Amino acid sequence: MTAYLSLRNIVKSYDGRVNAVDNVSIDIAKGEFLTFLGPSGSGKTTTLMMIAGFEAPSAGAIELEGEDLTRRKPYERNIGVVFQNYALFPHMTVERNVAFPLRMRRFPRNREAARVREILDLVGLGPFAGKHPRELSGGQQQRVALARGLVFNPDVLLLDEPLGALDKSLREQMQVELKRIQREVGITTVYVTHDQTEAMTMSDRIAVFSHGKLEQVAPPLDVYHRPRTRFVGEFIGDSNIFAGTVDESQPGCVTLEALGPMRVDVEAWRRVGKGAVDVLVRPERVQLAAPGAEPALLNRLVMEIGVIVNYGDSVLLIGSARGQRLRMRIAGAQPDAIREGATVIVGWRPGDEHLIARS
Amino acid sequence: MGLSLACLVALFLLLPIVIVVPMSFSTAISFEFPPPGYSLGYYAKFFTSEEWLEPTLNSLVIALGATALTMLLVVPAAFGYVRYRFRGKALVNLLMMAPLIVPHVVSALAYYGFLGRARLTGTHLGVIVAHGVLAVPVAFLVISATLKGFDRNLERAAMSSGAGPLRTFFHVTLPVLRPGMLVGALFAFLSSFNEAVVVIFIGGRGAATLPKKMYESIRLESDPVIAVVSTLLVSAVVLGVLVSAFLRPRGANAA
Repeated sequence: MTAYLSLRNIVKSYDGRVNAVDNVSIDIAKGEFLTFLGPSGSGKTTTLMMIAGFEAPSAGAIELEGEDLTRRKPYERNIGVVFQNYALFPHMTVERNVAFPLRMRRFPRNREAARVREILDLVGLGPFAGKHPRELSGGQQQRVALARGLVFNPDVLLLDEPLGALDKSLREQMQVELKRIQREVGITTVYVTHDQTEAMTMSDRIAVFSHGKLEQVAPPLDVYHRPRTRFVGEFIGDSNIFAGTVDESQPGCVTLEALGPMRVDVEAWRRVGKGAVDVLVRPERVQLAAPGAEPALLNRLVMEIGVIVNYGDSVLLIGSARGQRLRMRIAGAQPDAIREGATVIVGWRPGDEHLIARS
Repeated sequence: MGLSLACLVALFLLLPIVIVVPMSFSTAISFEFPPPGYSLGYYAKFFTSEEWLEPTLNSLVIALGATALTMLLVVPAAFGYVRYRFRGKALVNLLMMAPLIVPHVVSALAYYGFLGRARLTGTHLGVIVAHGVLAVPVAFLVISATLKGFDRNLERAAMSSGAGPLRTFFHVTLPVLRPGMLVGALFAFLSSFNEAVVVIFIGGRGAATLPKKMYESIRLESDPVIAVVSTLLVSAVVLGVLVSAFLRPRGANAA
């Protein structure tokens, strides 16, 4: 991958003691959709603000196509920004809002109207050109903000939790819409969110932040199936994480603290080598082990069901096995044998787990 | 029950003000209620006599000057106060409010001594300085509240659109804050236009304003022209409040 936008060892500290952003380095490819995902206060928005130029890094460099941007003012960069609260200029019509970057950047006046029209059509707001922001719905305002961020053909588009203020159904609709527009324009995009579903569905890659540090940068499915750290495994998706130790004497064997010996994928076992590991098993990989059936379910446990959560399309069972909390998800409707307080035999195959070496 | 009580209170507050309106159209040679007859005689007197028109003009000039001075002091102060953290911020706020807390007579006495030494008593400039400072608290309250409600992402959006600090201020910050600024300026104007105590001390002959002239007139001659002036002043204030009420919701929306 050739880097288009590069963050090199970015540090941001407000008080000189605690680092809000701690040594973050990422290379972003041209046209890529990269998402910064993390809980609030993890440094993702601060990092975005440094790319935009609203905050200056305490150390490190930001480069665009090999050119150093670090000391440039926001208005000397060619970067579009979309804010969570839209930040539309209330005293201007939709048309004037979108034309504003063109005016400021000395875009030829005779082509301005055509360009504004073109970008408003792209976001589906052509008929609203003459309205004021306060006359529009939240979703429409967000589209205006997107149009304003794209109209001047920026090198990079930054979005700071742009769908955070919208209700769920509108948010899903806007996710699809945003992704379509991003593909159509082909613009390099950095997207900040704390919503993992949003990150999973829209991104080419996800950068997971925690306490100012980068935990992992990888495609969505890699982040989900092969989290590099325990934090990533817990933060993204639902998870069972068991602490254990590699049993070096038996290939494919790990001894879990609470559950005892467990069979895992031999290749993965070999890669980890030795020492302490966290074993991640996604709840959808845990299955009901009917007596005699599925001999491949080598790891079997007796699970006491505590709570049953019905999602309609699936059922989540929350319970325990030998004092260890255990979650499993069954696709489809709730089977008859499953009741709160019942005991069932469950299991998973070697290879259904993911090993995270503990450092 | 509640409504009738409210009406009673409103009546109690408004009656003394409203009562001057019929008296301004009176034919009586002194204050008399109810008026024995109606005419526009005293209006004609007000609008033709130098004795009344000069203080009116003085009042306007001084109020405009004081408003300009107040805004010059308050706008940068409010930006500094709202947008930056610094030591002694609470103290600065207290100092800004001081003219509101100190009794006007005390301020008046202080200005009399201070402006006298600077040879500014009896001049427009002297009264402008005093009124400009006296209007600081009310203007500061209004403008800093407006500024607190201002979304700074608007400025960031402008900057990432390619606008430098100056263009950001004039294209975005100022237009969005304008309604709040106008309300602040209006309050400053009214505060100077209505001020009587300080101006009696320092206005002298040269910078007699309308309230000062009214005070002197009521003491010496009880001229019913005062009722005319009062009616005009009340109308102006009502108009001012209506204008600011019209500006405010737009300002709130903008923020």
